[in-house]
Amino acid sequence: MNGSDVIIIAPLIAAIATAIAILVVDIVVPGRTNAVIATALIGLGVTAVVTLTVGSMPPTTAYGGAYKLDALTTFLDLLFVAVIAMTIVFAPDYLAPRRLPVAEFATVLVFAMSGAMLISASVDLLLLFLGLELMVLPGYLLAGYHKSDSYSTEGAIKYFLLGSFSSAIFLFGLAFVWGLTGSTRVADVASVLTQVVNHTLPFSPGLAMGFAFLTTGVAFKIAAVPFHYWTPDAYQGSPTPVTGYLSVGPKVGAFALILRLFVEALGPMKAEWLPVVIVLAATTMTLGNLVALTQDNVKRMLAYSSIAHTGYMLVGLAAYAGGQPQGLEGLLFYGAAYSFMNLGAFAVIAALQKRAGVTSQLATFAGLGRKEPWLGVLMTLFLLSLTGIPPTAGFFAKAVIILAAVQAGGWVAFLAVLLVVNAAAAAFYYLRVVVYMYMRDPASDAPPLRHGRLMWGGLTAATAATILFGLFPGLLLGMISAAAGALTAAG
Amino acid sequence: MAIPSTIPILGLPWDDVLFVILAGTMLLAGLLVVTMRDIIRCGLAMMVCFGALAGIYVMAGAPLVAGAQVLVYIGAISVLVLFAIMLTQTKVGPTRLVFQTQAVPAAIAAVILVVVLVLTIGATQWGGTGERGETITADLARVLFADWVLPFEIVGVLLLAAVIGGVFLAKRDRPASTDDVE
Repeated sequence: MNGSDVIIIAPLIAAIATAIAILVVDIVVPGRTNAVIATALIGLGVTAVVTLTVGSMPPTTAYGGAYKLDALTTFLDLLFVAVIAMTIVFAPDYLAPRRLPVAEFATVLVFAMSGAMLISASVDLLLLFLGLELMVLPGYLLAGYHKSDSYSTEGAIKYFLLGSFSSAIFLFGLAFVWGLTGSTRVADVASVLTQVVNHTLPFSPGLAMGFAFLTTGVAFKIAAVPFHYWTPDAYQGSPTPVTGYLSVGPKVGAFALILRLFVEALGPMKAEWLPVVIVLAATTMTLGNLVALTQDNVKRMLAYSSIAHTGYMLVGLAAYAGGQPQGLEGLLFYGAAYSFMNLGAFAVIAALQKRAGVTSQLATFAGLGRKEPWLGVLMTLFLLSLTGIPPTAGFFAKAVIILAAVQAGGWVAFLAVLLVVNAAAAAFYYLRVVVYMYMRDPASDAPPLRHGRLMWGGLTAATAATILFGLFPGLLLGMISAAAGALTAAG
Repeated sequence: MAIPSTIPILGLPWDDVLFVILAGTMLLAGLLVVTMRDIIRCGLAMMVCFGALAGIYVMAGAPLVAGAQVLVYIGAISVLVLFAIMLTQTKVGPTRLVFQTQAVPAAIAAVILVVVLVLTIGATQWGGTGERGETITADLARVLFADWVLPFEIVGVLLLAAVIGGVFLAKRDRPASTDDVE
């Protein structure tokens, strides 16, 4: 370790320092929500600037090749910072009426972000595991953040039990891989696998077992079918801003892990794992959408729809394994677009739930278009983007993935067809909310709520991202193709 | 009189026999932890489980890890768990576990997994085992604080996040919070 190592991990240090700063501010001036949020946003801003500054350096590694700084690291770190900043901005309107503190919420959220940032930079299996744990552990707390609500506690316990279980499975697989390759470094594992593919080394059943466990552990974290059972309860029970975060942050983080693990470490064997990803993607998007169709609670519906979106992103991975590197660009673009539109949709629900006692049932949205026209318009926009209708970011994201999958041909092209069918089916349940908002009479004649400036600011940011990345995808594509290029060059 | 390197009548190496005894004890104690009804007894069985694991560490040539296992797990964590149970437990609890509705399918799945694992491990060439040497503490320190310093520090951050979360969940609520139902 030397001084330059510390500079390379500076974004991570800035993130951890931000979390601690929030805690200190809350100790010095207790109960001042504004001070806490200001500290968090300033800290996140500093983290973003540091990430950009460090990211402009040429790609390099630190700590003996365990930590890697490349275009992918920078892109994902910036995305995580944006996700966390928006979650923190959306939270107070929901937390304040329920007398839940913002300080602990923001602190553990930023800790989770540092875990996600560690994943995006790790090229060592052990470090990947630690980053994963640091990312999901705060999630268990956040899911049970509303302590007096039994649904919140139930969801948190289910999330915690299945989450720890899947972490143990992942670690077990890691032990197998370490035992048979003699290293936890991603590059060493990849070189052993290259020899296996070239038949200079035999492929042992133990190695296959290890990879099976690693895949299972990761599939739990991204909530791919059939490892998705924790998702609906955890998402429905959590406080709404937390649900928004859980559906985006840990999911993109786990996909970062998949990129490092499957593309870099297991890249030489992509022909072998492609069938697994095809089956996972097909079942995940189909089942997620089918069950979402029958939900009348919007939070639960979006939970199932987030499972479907996992499936769409897996199609991007399948396209990469099928020989189309653009599949990775599609996956990354989808991750970014999905983050903004899904967080936006959950923010609207959180805004409606500012009045304590308002549920996330579909009936809550009746007549919203007339009662609160702005929220109605924004919700419509986010839902259209989730459906994949131009000119939103969701459309372009789906288009990139479908194009890559079609070019890959074979069974991957079949996935593209399935994706289109699924997107059409999903339109039904997304648009049903729009129908409720504009064609039903409001259930109550309560006066419209006043929403905080932070909430509007966050909604504006989410809206701007959803529209801009749809109209001018080039804004993101430069960074994304650099990030995907860094991955494929290594793998 | 020197101790023979194998057990006199059976002809088995001592190491293997010791390992089987320790591993068997650990598995049995682990089973008791999850199957017994009285939670205090579960806690005591957990200490036995940790102790057997410490023995396996000694056999693997890692006395420092074994020492840490005894001090931290048996000494600190188990005692903490037992005290937490004694201070918070109420005598009236459910006699049947709530989650026990799928015991049979779970057992079948577990047995299948064990069979697959045994077959896999048996069919795998694990390579040379190498010399079983003692781990020198100074070497361990060098590995921990030089090569693996980043993971080491990250574990610290992870524990900090966990402590903050634990304190928040355990903290007594201010009275009169407005409840709402999702």
